[in-house]
Amino acid sequence: MPPEKNAENTRELAFIEALKEAYIEEMERDERVFMVGQDIQGGIFPHTVGLVDRFGPERIVDTPISESGMYGTAFGSAQEGFRPIVDFMFGGFTYVTWAECSVTTGQYYFLHGSQIPLPIVITLAVGTGQRLANDHSMGLHGSFFPQPGIKVAMPSTPYDAKGLMKAAIRDNNPVVIPWHMGLMMDRGPVPEEDYIVPLGGADVKRVGTDVTVLANSLQLKNTLEVAGKLADEISMEVIDPRSFEPFDMDALLRSLEKTNRLVIVDEDWERGSFAATISARVMEQAFDLLDAPVTLVTFPNMPIPGGYMEPYIAPNPDKIETAVRAVCR
Amino acid sequence: MSLSKTVKRELYEKLVLADRIDRMIYGRMMQGKLIGFYHPGEGGIAPGVAIGHHLTKDDIYTPHHRAHGIPGMLGKNVPVERYLAEHTGKETGCCKGRSSFHWSFPEYGIYMASGYIGFQFAPTVGWGWAAKRKGKGQIVWCSAGDGGYNQGRAHEAMLMAMNWKLPVVFCCENNGMAIHATVASMHPTEHISSLAKGYGMPAVIVDGQDVFAVAEVAKKAIRHVRAGKGPIFVETKTLRFREHDIGTPDLAGHMPRSEEELADLRRRDPVLVATERVLADGVLTQTQIDTIGEQADVRVAEIEQFADESTIARPSEQELMEAVYAP
Repeated sequence: MPPEKNAENTRELAFIEALKEAYIEEMERDERVFMVGQDIQGGIFPHTVGLVDRFGPERIVDTPISESGMYGTAFGSAQEGFRPIVDFMFGGFTYVTWAECSVTTGQYYFLHGSQIPLPIVITLAVGTGQRLANDHSMGLHGSFFPQPGIKVAMPSTPYDAKGLMKAAIRDNNPVVIPWHMGLMMDRGPVPEEDYIVPLGGADVKRVGTDVTVLANSLQLKNTLEVAGKLADEISMEVIDPRSFEPFDMDALLRSLEKTNRLVIVDEDWERGSFAATISARVMEQAFDLLDAPVTLVTFPNMPIPGGYMEPYIAPNPDKIETAVRAVCR
Repeated sequence: MSLSKTVKRELYEKLVLADRIDRMIYGRMMQGKLIGFYHPGEGGIAPGVAIGHHLTKDDIYTPHHRAHGIPGMLGKNVPVERYLAEHTGKETGCCKGRSSFHWSFPEYGIYMASGYIGFQFAPTVGWGWAAKRKGKGQIVWCSAGDGGYNQGRAHEAMLMAMNWKLPVVFCCENNGMAIHATVASMHPTEHISSLAKGYGMPAVIVDGQDVFAVAEVAKKAIRHVRAGKGPIFVETKTLRFREHDIGTPDLAGHMPRSEEELADLRRRDPVLVATERVLADGVLTQTQIDTIGEQADVRVAEIEQFADESTIARPSEQELMEAVYAP
């Protein structure tokens, strides 16, 4: 069992500090773990700052701006028994070497006779809110999770950030951990002792009875805000999937048995998304539980604009409230 | 650094065997006894045999895709019957019959074949990085064709391997053809190995039709990188006698390659070249050569028998679902 979040040895840490603590603990625990990326020694994001002083350039490896070669460092060394964490900086950069980190990686183990595992962690900063437009804002969890052979999990709190990252590093499969830039400095309780948050376990972040809202990352935060605001009118149960693949369908169905209504908030385009997939599965597996159509709060079919136009595309508390009210009418 | 008589004899035996396996697989494709497609190796099998022969079992190797890597596998003493079993969809295949032609022999340092040309370059950086970090003298031999070196990934790998002085041999088995594209139409200079200059990487060019010449160069190149001197580039000038893959027309650009041109190329058949050499150098007699041919035929029959007598892989859906993720 993971330790309680309010245990005595729990401190408040920023989300980004929790991630860093996971890297440090796992690198100290296992010599085979190392990090590779671009400018991670100096740190574009604070989660790798200072690691080179502790572990040296042999384990905190900077590469040229050569995404395929950078990713290849992780891929090839994993086959040779290392356990790399490859940091893509902005998630959209994975598309530069997409064939490698999706097709070749996900299907390697199966296709080649399940002979040797590929224990690679792919980590990426994602999300709207910085007004950076498409390549620096895309979500990526929705692109990775349909790839067979790959696991995908995304933390929403500092506690989950450390626990999911440690679970990913110890997993014998390729695991993608996107983290939202909008949560980077959020603070929350993180135990000092060793714990993991198992991949494939959803978390009920707020108990309710009228409607289930499945939301993750920054949108989980927005959803909890709406749940607080509507508390006197509508009792919202808020579920954080935490892991997209494997996904905890049982947790969602248990909640729907109680609420009979579902809204899915997902910072991604609707078509081919995690939200659309789960909506379809609920229709297949739990049609009789539904008292209202499943409603999605996602991006319209529009590229992610930069500048001041993000509100047109990104989910926000107003859009979530509108959807919740509509299904509870 | 000349090769011993024993090494020459071994190379000759493997070359003859590689040639006969290539013809056997070509024949099976025509008879409908092979899954998918086959990219015949005829004319270009000498480099793989010579390179593989000098690598240890631990060394990491990506054979050139022509002849589906078999010359290189023979060089490295890989049990190639498990390759044929794979390509015929059998349980005994190197990937349990799941992969069609995507061979993998991790226990021999041959991790993967990809249907994407040039996809050995990015992992080469990781293999080299791991070999250097382990510091046990392991090296990486990355072979690709003239077409493979057109991938941007080749640049990234050479750049990073030189930055980090990784123990990698970059080899271009340049047969002058990538599907229908002549190397002259796709590469601005005469030699692919001229790319190495830009990275400050030493480069060697060798006659790829001469298995012994390639073997000498391979031995030196391997010694260079094993000694920690960083990457080296080896370009083997070789040939392709047949079409890109069985069933496609044999074109150069949009025009068929002429009978005269092909007849001219065939004068430099690697088995022919090697046979002349071993006779002239007194390495083998004609009687011994005949025996080697007979033994190769016996081995080819064994390889086919192994594949033919193996059971077709038909796992249940549940078994396959359980094979997607590692425990």
